[in-house]
Amino acid sequence: MSRNMLDHDFGSEEEDDDFNPAPAYDSDNEDARPTHQDDDEDEEDVKPARRVERRAGSEEAEDNEDADGHDDEEEDENDDDDEEDEDEEDAVSRPKKRRRRGGVHNFFEEEAGVDEDEDEAEDEEDEMAELGGEMHPDDMDALPVGAETDDRRHRQLDRQRELEASMDAEKQAQLLKERYGRNRAAASDAVVVPKRLLLPSVEDPSIWGVRCKPGKEREVIFAIQKRIEERPMGSRNPMKIISAFERGGAMSGYVYVEARRQADVMDGLQDMSNVYPRTKMILVPVREMPDLLRVQKSEELLPGGWVRIKRGKYQNDLAQIEEVETNGLAVTVRLVPRLDYGLNEDTGAPFMDPKRKRPGMNPAVARPPQRLFSEAEAKKKHAKYLSATSGLGGKSWSYLGETYIDGFLIKDMKVQHLITKNVSPRLEEVTMFARGSEDGTANLDLASLAETLKNSTAEDSYLPGDPVEVFRGEQQGLIGRTTSTRGDIVTLQVTEGDLAGQHIDAPVKSLRKRFREGDHVKVIGGSRYQDELGMVVQVKDDTVTLLSDMSMQEITVFSKDLRLSAETGVDGKLGMFDVHDLVQLDAATVACIVKVDRESLRVLDQNGSIRTILPTQVTNKITPRRDAVATDRNGAEIRHGDTVREVYGEQRNGVILHIHRSFLFLHNKAQAENSGITVVRTTNVVTVSAKGGRSTGPDLTKMNPALMSRGAPGGMMGPPKSFGRDRMIGKTVMVRKGPFKGLVGIVKDAGDLQARVEFHSKNKLMSISKELLVVKDPVTGQTIEMGRGRGGPRVPSAAPPSGWQGGRTPVAAADSSRTPAWGGASSARSKSFHVSRPWPTILTERSSTCLGWHERFSHTSVEERWIPYLKPL
Amino acid sequence: MFFLKEETKVITLHPSYFGPNVREYLINRLNEEEEGRCTGDHFVICVMDMVDIGEGRVLPSSGQAEYTIKYRAIIWKPFRGETVDAIVTSVKPTGIFTLAGPLSVFIARKNIPSDIKWEPNTVPPQYTDHADQVIEKGTSLRLKILGVKPDVAAINAIGTIKEDYLGPL
Repeated sequence: MSRNMLDHDFGSEEEDDDFNPAPAYDSDNEDARPTHQDDDEDEEDVKPARRVERRAGSEEAEDNEDADGHDDEEEDENDDDDEEDEDEEDAVSRPKKRRRRGGVHNFFEEEAGVDEDEDEAEDEEDEMAELGGEMHPDDMDALPVGAETDDRRHRQLDRQRELEASMDAEKQAQLLKERYGRNRAAASDAVVVPKRLLLPSVEDPSIWGVRCKPGKEREVIFAIQKRIEERPMGSRNPMKIISAFERGGAMSGYVYVEARRQADVMDGLQDMSNVYPRTKMILVPVREMPDLLRVQKSEELLPGGWVRIKRGKYQNDLAQIEEVETNGLAVTVRLVPRLDYGLNEDTGAPFMDPKRKRPGMNPAVARPPQRLFSEAEAKKKHAKYLSATSGLGGKSWSYLGETYIDGFLIKDMKVQHLITKNVSPRLEEVTMFARGSEDGTANLDLASLAETLKNSTAEDSYLPGDPVEVFRGEQQGLIGRTTSTRGDIVTLQVTEGDLAGQHIDAPVKSLRKRFREGDHVKVIGGSRYQDELGMVVQVKDDTVTLLSDMSMQEITVFSKDLRLSAETGVDGKLGMFDVHDLVQLDAATVACIVKVDRESLRVLDQNGSIRTILPTQVTNKITPRRDAVATDRNGAEIRHGDTVREVYGEQRNGVILHIHRSFLFLHNKAQAENSGITVVRTTNVVTVSAKGGRSTGPDLTKMNPALMSRGAPGGMMGPPKSFGRDRMIGKTVMVRKGPFKGLVGIVKDAGDLQARVEFHSKNKLMSISKELLVVKDPVTGQTIEMGRGRGGPRVPSAAPPSGWQGGRTPVAAADSSRTPAWGGASSARSKSFHVSRPWPTILTERSSTCLGWHERFSHTSVEERWIPYLKPL
Repeated sequence: MFFLKEETKVITLHPSYFGPNVREYLINRLNEEEEGRCTGDHFVICVMDMVDIGEGRVLPSSGQAEYTIKYRAIIWKPFRGETVDAIVTSVKPTGIFTLAGPLSVFIARKNIPSDIKWEPNTVPPQYTDHADQVIEKGTSLRLKILGVKPDVAAINAIGTIKEDYLGPL
């Protein structure tokens, strides 16, 4: 009885607040009672339908009770009603009862055909007992149930049968109908009985909250239950407790006992461990009683739904609900197992003392990856733990005490060990559960997945301005744009239809985002395609197919995971890394990022191999050099952005993304693999077209020597390279500027810009910019002019030894006054004026085109002026 | 859709070009730089004429001259829903790449009628309904632009041939 109360779902419609306990039993009907009590205990979790019936029956009793108060006689009357209800219960649990009676009651076995009548007989007999044959309560306590009434029962039965026989069938039918028909009617009525009538009133038994040891609530309840069994109603010292229950975590430290009087509670809990009835007992006010038993509407778990595991080896793993126990507390879930099949534990095991081995000693060994159970692997090392069980339909294995069916782990879990809210299963997780099919997605029930996801719809997935559509509810079909969100409510402005312009509130659950074909969208979450950008190619209810900008692949996601994107260009970023970035993997290897996953990068290295690396494995990111130049197979200049084609092999073509040494990273949109990136050697390509229509022929702007020497970006030549031994080495120099100004030393070593100078004064080697050095004659101390074009030092004050120096333009030299912009240029530009070898050669090649404009500008012929200087320096 | 658009462009000229032919040079420069350019929003098809070539202004400190040129050009701006003719540049299992003039349009598998199937075993590979419709490299297609994605200096579009009167011509 006591447990019965607990198991009621007080939140549900039919069974709300069943505070009407079965009335206290009299010792009079002892023969029926105890057995009934037993039955009731056995059937704690009985089918709800039956309980409804039962309640409906007892309701009448309560009405009576309410009317007349509750004296004992009155209750006797009610007992008839109750009795009947219980008869029905008995009918359900007949076999058990039968068994228990056994022994002395062999007689009853013969009467199997007249179950109901028998009970009725008992009832009537009870009445008789009340009227006439009284027994001493002590006797009753001692005797087995019904022992002393055997004889009477026989007679009773005979009489009953006679009576039945005498009745005509019609009457009998009516009687039966009256008896059961009413109940049936009541049963159906029960559904519509207003809740408030079922609420407890002052006449009902009270509920006391009794202190107990926290955490031992359930134990106490079981102890009470046991005691009720030991001291049933008909016994000498019956438990007067009607019901008891606990509220677990919410109200730990208390058990609640329902009884008529406080003394009954005291008495009932006397000498029970872990419960302290002597401390202050709380009488629960009538008004609060329903609250006490209100069950928090728990997440309704349905088979096929998704949950996550809270802790343990499978922490945060996705699991699918296979089965839900009727009480809703335990579920059977399907998991992708994480097994190592004893691989880890066996390593080095023979050499180690087994005692010293401790589990979990090496936390670094992460849990094994999720993989379907494989009996082959299990057999390798753990054959002894493995046993096949012939399951229904599928092959099932028992391995290390767990059951595996179809490769999945089937596990019973308690609901409190599961995360049921905001599960948000990702598509790749779910695909693992797709049973049987190779490609995975085929078997997926996207609809059920969508439903699960809908429950976890975060409000932030709607931003003001999102186009949405109401797809269920009264406002179904409305189309608008969101203007604001508050919790689960989204305000939207209707954009189409009669209501256009109006603001309407709608719950998130009834909304879905609306996309048109061709919309440029971004995946914002919920799937492994997060951050992909693409264009919508198909919209079907809740699912949107988009074409990834990057990979030109079709992706299907839920519309709630999408957002209109204004972004252009590449998608996906992992820290500082972006798709198409060039990264240095080691000293000799560079690679181009082809895909950015959440934690890893997929790169295509210069040798053409694809690898997946972690961002930490990247030495550094190579900042793109937009002005990098290379030459193709034909010697034509190729730059970033040019389109080139491979000469040999697959004749791949693409736009140059990066130029690195002799490697080109090309991008071709029409290529699906590697996001369209390929790597080729510069010597294997020919130019198809240059960027921006840059003519592959001679470039006019380039031809203008003036522009060249101006140091215009892209047109400037690198500083001249000096070959061989630097001429400054061994020379005596003086520093003309800086902290070492005036110091004299000998150049020990020299690079392009710097020289290592050993000073005479300090016994020290210093690196000093060559520009700051003046070469001196070691003996005379005279300044010596180093040759031009060697990056050697110049004496600023000294006049150029010749009229022509460095890269000075002939024009400038001819008439410096004409071009004031560079007429006076000298010392400041000294560096950039050095003539490098390459351009004079180019000039000779292209001199014919140069001539054209030079003549147009009516200067003296180029050859005249230039040829002398075109000689190798 | 084609438009006639008036635009301005600033061209800086090196002093070495200053001379009697400077105007000619400017026109050449303009044609060279503008025609075929993609702004990310539209393509400049052709420079029609110069409305006005401003007088050059020498920039202080560099000596270069700056000319502000007003010109009219025919531009093409692709719109969603526009029907265009295009030439297939390549066919892939994922879809068809086409060029509608300067605009590259991709037709995804989903936007190809279901009876036109991918046939990888032919040379060259093609999409075909095993009747008169064959889509391979070089085929002329009539397609409808589904969406246009402007980029920095390019426009990408996706199209469909899954409608009446669309498909190979």
